[in-house]
Amino acid sequence: MGTQNKSKRSPLAASAAIRYGLALVSVGAAAGLAQLFLDFHLPLAFTAFALSAIAATFWYGGTKPGILAVVLAALVRSYLFDPGISGIARVLYDLVFLVFALLMAMLTRARDSLEVRVKERTAELTRANDELRLEIADRVRAEEALRESQAELARITRVTTMGELTASLAHEVNQPIAAAITDANTCLRWLTRDQPDLEEAREAAARVVRDAARASDIIKRIRSLFKKELAQRELVDVNEMVRGMIELLRSEATRHTIAMRAELTEDLPPITGDRVQLQQVLMNLMMNSIEAMKDVQGTRELTVKSQPGQDRELLISIRDTGVGLPPQADQIFNSFFTTKHDGTGMGLRISRSIVESHGGRLWAADNPPRGASFSFTLPRKTDPHE
Amino acid sequence: MAIQSKKNLVAIVDDDDLMRSALQGMLRSVGVASETFAAAEEFLTSGQQHQAGCLIADIRMPGMSGLELQAKLNAENCRIPIIFITAHGDEKMRMQALRAGAVEFLAKPFDAEILLESVRAALEI
Repeated sequence: MGTQNKSKRSPLAASAAIRYGLALVSVGAAAGLAQLFLDFHLPLAFTAFALSAIAATFWYGGTKPGILAVVLAALVRSYLFDPGISGIARVLYDLVFLVFALLMAMLTRARDSLEVRVKERTAELTRANDELRLEIADRVRAEEALRESQAELARITRVTTMGELTASLAHEVNQPIAAAITDANTCLRWLTRDQPDLEEAREAAARVVRDAARASDIIKRIRSLFKKELAQRELVDVNEMVRGMIELLRSEATRHTIAMRAELTEDLPPITGDRVQLQQVLMNLMMNSIEAMKDVQGTRELTVKSQPGQDRELLISIRDTGVGLPPQADQIFNSFFTTKHDGTGMGLRISRSIVESHGGRLWAADNPPRGASFSFTLPRKTDPHE
Repeated sequence: MAIQSKKNLVAIVDDDDLMRSALQGMLRSVGVASETFAAAEEFLTSGQQHQAGCLIADIRMPGMSGLELQAKLNAENCRIPIIFITAHGDEKMRMQALRAGAVEFLAKPFDAEILLESVRAALEI
């Protein structure tokens, strides 16, 4: 039992007519129902229904309609259901309604203030949420900037090393070559006179030989830079070096949405070698792989694998799903061979030199269905030549 | 004692011994005498800047560079024509040298004919 009502739970939103109308309708319904129940000898039926009506009106209609409902209920009770009761009894009955009305008023007020607080809290939370979102955006931007500068660092290190190497090579060798050209020209000049001077020509030719020998010395000296004495080498944990290199290049890889994977055999024995040089080799091969995958569609995966090889060697391979080896695959280790428009062409050449100076081998192979793999061995004992 | 004719002597300043002898040999083959110096300082203390008809100098040298030498000679009001030859020839350097009065600026390895032409022009032969 109870009154039926279909209006929404927003006393302020509904129009006044509906709210006050609610008082009338609910009390009327209470009276009607009570009348029905009277046949069942339930004199308190109206009181019960009336209280429900009052409650509903307060809750859904508001304080003022609630008061109207109380008044109507009291009147209806007085004149319809208990017309003959004494004054005291009537007052008592009215009091019941009044007290109940007070309770309802307090309840609805509590509900309203709760709603206000909820609204405020929600606004606060929304604001905090927005601020958080801004912070996250800032954080993401800062991370991106960090990644970019890390990549730049890796790139600059690589370029500087290669650039410096190339520049110093070029400059050093240029001198004796320029001298050789001059001396050879001089020799020709002595020989193409009407009266060739053989002695002078011979001297000039001898100078050419000396110049070329100087050039050759320089090359030998530079090559020997890659060979170090045993004493300067240290124990290198290859897996730890690979992990370090993966971390260093992670931002560069992420930038090109390349996944990096390490398949490292645990507990590989350390090898004796030059850590800086080996890192250079790793960086060169891994950067090459990243470059090869930059613009491909489909999987972009760089996998570095370490495992024991034959004969107490370590075998490290770098596999990618990039554009693969160029058609002149056998030339890629030559000096000055490059497929990049800004490449120095020295990377693989130098990497192979470093690996060979450690007593290992570096080679390339296809990585079907698409991509290349570069592998190198590092013997546990350094350089059998020493 | 005959005073060395200003017109016919070329001074060569280069720290690279191979280049010095190559240039001297080349000049000898066209009948031009030359004197070589391993450093710019040596050249300045020799007094040859007032007697030689032309100066061929490298730019990058340990100690005083070719451009610094040029500045010093300009400061002394020495009018000797300078031909620069260098392994590092960038455009900026070239402009700087030419603006400061150099006759020619060549990159190594240079074309011997061009160098000889410049020398001939400088010596007015």
